[in-house]
Amino acid sequence: MPGTIHVNLICFSLVKYALGKDQLSVELPAGATTDELEAHVRELAGDALPTVPLRVAVNQRYAPAGAALSDGDEVVFIPPVQGG
Amino acid sequence: MVETRILDGPLPPLDDASAPGDGQDGAELLFHGRVRGTEADRPIVALDYEAYLPLAETELRAVAEDTAARFPVRSLVCLPRIGRIEVGEASMRVTIRSLHRTEGIQALAYFIEQLKDRVPIWKWGVTEQGERFPSRGGHGPPNP
Repeated sequence: MPGTIHVNLICFSLVKYALGKDQLSVELPAGATTDELEAHVRELAGDALPTVPLRVAVNQRYAPAGAALSDGDEVVFIPPVQGG
Repeated sequence: MVETRILDGPLPPLDDASAPGDGQDGAELLFHGRVRGTEADRPIVALDYEAYLPLAETELRAVAEDTAARFPVRSLVCLPRIGRIEVGEASMRVTIRSLHRTEGIQALAYFIEQLKDRVPIWKWGVTEQGERFPSRGGHGPPNP
């Protein structure tokens, strides 16, 4: 569909628990940012996702909040980590 | 020398970490993170560790190199584990060698703090009944 992009959202920890999925494809308007995707994820998850801060990684690197997304991007929202 | 490896299996024998070396190390710090029997105030039988591996490997390496650049350590080896780890077992080993103890102790403290802030590895508690629940994380005193 013109004017849209698809990103591959991979889920871990609290995000996986809240959404009940390891990953999902999300359609967004072209020009969408990680902030908009996070809002979408929080809406999907509802109360199941606690109000913890989420960092974001795009294509296997940490990205700044509000980073622009492109079609085919791999996105992971990172709840507070435990590091091992 | 910096070595980092995320292991989907047991840690290597301790002998590997305690080899004599070249005789220049005045201090060796050996740290094992271990699985406690409670998570979020609930009794558990194991923790199941998951990682976003591409980023975890990159960040783990970066944290180790940053630590080695800040403190004059002679070697730093970090081996976190993923997968199911029973209560009491070690989930991570860090070995640091240095000329003197002070820089080694400082490096270990710094390294662990950075690791627990940056490396995307998460814990799921596993109860005796088989329920799995994600840890809420956090980096304060209750979750050292």
